Amino acid sequence: MISSDEPTGSGPRSSVGSGAASAPLLTVTNLTKSFNGVPALHGVDLEVGAGEVHGLLGANGSGKSTLIKVLAGFHDADGGTVTVHGRTVEGPFGARGLRDEGLGFVHQDLGLAGSGTVLEHMALDAEGDAQAWRRVHWRSERRRVQELLDRFEIGVDPSATIDSLTPVQRAMVAVVRAVGSQELAQERAGGERRGQILVLDEPTVFLPRHEVNMLFDVLRRLRDRGDAVLLVSHDLDEILEVTDRVTVFRNGRTAGTRSTDGATRDDLVQLILGARDEHVAKGSAVVRDDRPALLSARGLHGGRVAGIDIDLYAGEVVGVTGLAGSGFEELAELLFGSRTPTAGTVEHGGKTVTRPSPARSMDAGVILIPADRKGQGGALGLSVLENMSLPFLDKKLGGFRVDWRQMSRQAEETCHRLNVVPPNPQALFGHLSGGNQQKALLGKWMDTDPMVMLLSEPTQGVDIGARREIFKLIRAAVAQGRTVMCATSDYEQLVEMADRVLVLDQGRVAAELVGDDITKDALASAVYAEEAS
Amino acid sequence: MSATEKQDVEMDGKDGSAGPAVRPRGSVAKKPAEPERFALLGVWAVLILVFSLAAPQTFPTTANISNMLATQVVLLILAIGLLVPLRGGDYDLSVASTLNLSTVIVAVLNVNHGWGIWASVAVALLASLCVGVVNGLIVTVFDIDPFIVTLGVGTVVQGLIYYVSDTMTISGIDRALSDLVLTQPFLAIPTGFFFALALCALVWYVFDHTAFGQRLLFVGQSRDVARLNGVNVSGLRRRSFIVSAGFAGLAGVVYAGTTASADPVSGASFLLPAFAACFLGSTVLRIGRFNPWGTLIAVYFLVTGITGLQLLGAQQYVQQLFYGGALVIAVILSKLVRSRGERKRRAQAALSAS
Repeated sequence: MISSDEPTGSGPRSSVGSGAASAPLLTVTNLTKSFNGVPALHGVDLEVGAGEVHGLLGANGSGKSTLIKVLAGFHDADGGTVTVHGRTVEGPFGARGLRDEGLGFVHQDLGLAGSGTVLEHMALDAEGDAQAWRRVHWRSERRRVQELLDRFEIGVDPSATIDSLTPVQRAMVAVVRAVGSQELAQERAGGERRGQILVLDEPTVFLPRHEVNMLFDVLRRLRDRGDAVLLVSHDLDEILEVTDRVTVFRNGRTAGTRSTDGATRDDLVQLILGARDEHVAKGSAVVRDDRPALLSARGLHGGRVAGIDIDLYAGEVVGVTGLAGSGFEELAELLFGSRTPTAGTVEHGGKTVTRPSPARSMDAGVILIPADRKGQGGALGLSVLENMSLPFLDKKLGGFRVDWRQMSRQAEETCHRLNVVPPNPQALFGHLSGGNQQKALLGKWMDTDPMVMLLSEPTQGVDIGARREIFKLIRAAVAQGRTVMCATSDYEQLVEMADRVLVLDQGRVAAELVGDDITKDALASAVYAEEAS
Repeated sequence: MSATEKQDVEMDGKDGSAGPAVRPRGSVAKKPAEPERFALLGVWAVLILVFSLAAPQTFPTTANISNMLATQVVLLILAIGLLVPLRGGDYDLSVASTLNLSTVIVAVLNVNHGWGIWASVAVALLASLCVGVVNGLIVTVFDIDPFIVTLGVGTVVQGLIYYVSDTMTISGIDRALSDLVLTQPFLAIPTGFFFALALCALVWYVFDHTAFGQRLLFVGQSRDVARLNGVNVSGLRRRSFIVSAGFAGLAGVVYAGTTASADPVSGASFLLPAFAACFLGSTVLRIGRFNPWGTLIAVYFLVTGITGLQLLGAQQYVQQLFYGGALVIAVILSKLVRSRGERKRRAQAALSAS
């Protein structure tokens, strides 16, 4: 193993692992890139061999995305070389990036249009740079697509629209589509079959954890054919599970490359942070279950939720988890009132709320931070100040005068207190990294002095450093007598943070774990046990 | 331009991160100075200079300036109202028909039915508000794209106009209305212009300094974010359509006063200039945001260009060229300027982060 302090770019990488023995399909050497004078990549090295799944790890802002964007042609590199199939490709790579050299890309948003069918998406690639009036041979296209789906054992009908697929099916279609388009390109070029290089940029972030394996099976099949996969991910468990080797970026430099065979989470965390991870102590908050619950629900029904009773007491973090579709994703929205329950009652501090709505919940000190930070958490095109001031607008004169001076002061203080980078409230919300966006949102809502915080996947797409800070904030909130409900499929997070975990199955509470019983194994078996029955 | 100075001063109030209690930790990045946001003012100044030199006898005269100010009041009021739904992310294509409806109602009631002028005006305004209510209800209750709803409603209103007016031009509206909008209390500037200025100030205050304006901004930027922050999205959108229709009605009344007559078609010619002014205005002062002072500047920038060229001998066609061109160029400009500013701010964010 290469120590995390070793200077970058020196000497050959350790050649452990199954795939590294063969000649590398993709080699990146000393690549640099700056944006308006601010360096994002100080010179990174990366080597992906044939027949391996290679992980790319790093905290937010470490340069992973920048490298992918250089390879995909979004940015031009300032310096360094990229070698594909043993041939050094001269930059700039142009708008098509290295696609013509045998690289395929699947980005986080997958690049699929909801109303189009699987077949239509793949036929689009088949047309390539053909003339606009070329006829689409639907029958042969369908044959090709069906063959491709069969080869990877994906049970999706080519005429299904993307909308009708589950998230994991969409991800698999996106991957197979990239594979198919590379095959077509090679066919057109007429050369012998070369190994493909598939780059996946955080494809699992929006997938339910339990279904990720289906996607990984596809990746393993690719590996077995002798192709290479470069997988960018935040999730260490996934990386350990599916990759053969990992390269870790830290602050725009390569911190190290190592085999994942025999590696532990802690080894990776150490590489990512340059320091060993320490868990935040849960602390000994006092749960006040002798008093009425701050928020409770009786017989709550929604789209998936089918009759849930829940009580959230002051001083506790309640985790909610389950399989995708079990209703755990929906519960927070039902409690908050942003999704109308079809039946059941919600009580704030023992008083039944008629027709719960976001405004009513906020008045009662109940707040929600949604999982979809970019779409629902904050307005990306507005400043941090404006995003943070939204709940406080009618503090003065009932909204007839907005006190910007006071707002600005408050936002700035909050940003400093929660260590939001940059600590400048004028910055556009959309320009902040995921972790900083989440901290800003947490800070905004904590300033409203809420009693109940409903969080949905609070650390999704957040790097490890920020993740720990968010845990601390949540523990601090319950220590002050608040209650936090955290809906997530991230068991690690529940183990670190929750006092009590409700496991949902088919819209009902199937199991409840308390205190030291909350372990990853216990959670996994609780979640999967329900599936088996 | 006193109006723009005021905007500047006040904007510093809002953007002033350098409040007294700010703790300067490290180097806190200030909002970057964006010279682009004054670019249109510069072009305007050049335009005025060029025309003054090219047509010294006709362009820089009190009569011409007074005329330019007076003729644009209707357009300005209409555009200012249009800003409200635009800020909330909705297009209102029915404003021009609403304006025409208001004008025709004033004329029909006052001239054909012998109503008092002020009663006629009140009915005209009420009728306009009704158009807004209909727009707002259809858009929010059935959740339909306002583009298509207001296009349809606008056409229906146009039909009503023909019906009410019998497809006739009606002249002879009570002089009292004309006196109200055309008197020149000082500097040969008609009162209508001061009305428009006051409305600008009102909308600016509402946009930047009230909860309504700020919430409307969030509705326009992201419906989901607004909804999850307890904002009544449908209610705000409904209200924004009512406001724009109300302003259109007001513009129609002023139009009736300016011309002392009403015809059933000329209102339509205001639609494109109003959108052009709003979009061009969003490239000034607050880049990428619809703002009233920017719209004011845009309206008078456009009329300066058109009047100047006409004084130099250009024909009627120059008006279409100018408004249409301005709309397209404004949209391109705001796109360019925004992505440029974005790059700059992104770099700044990265700098202060490192």
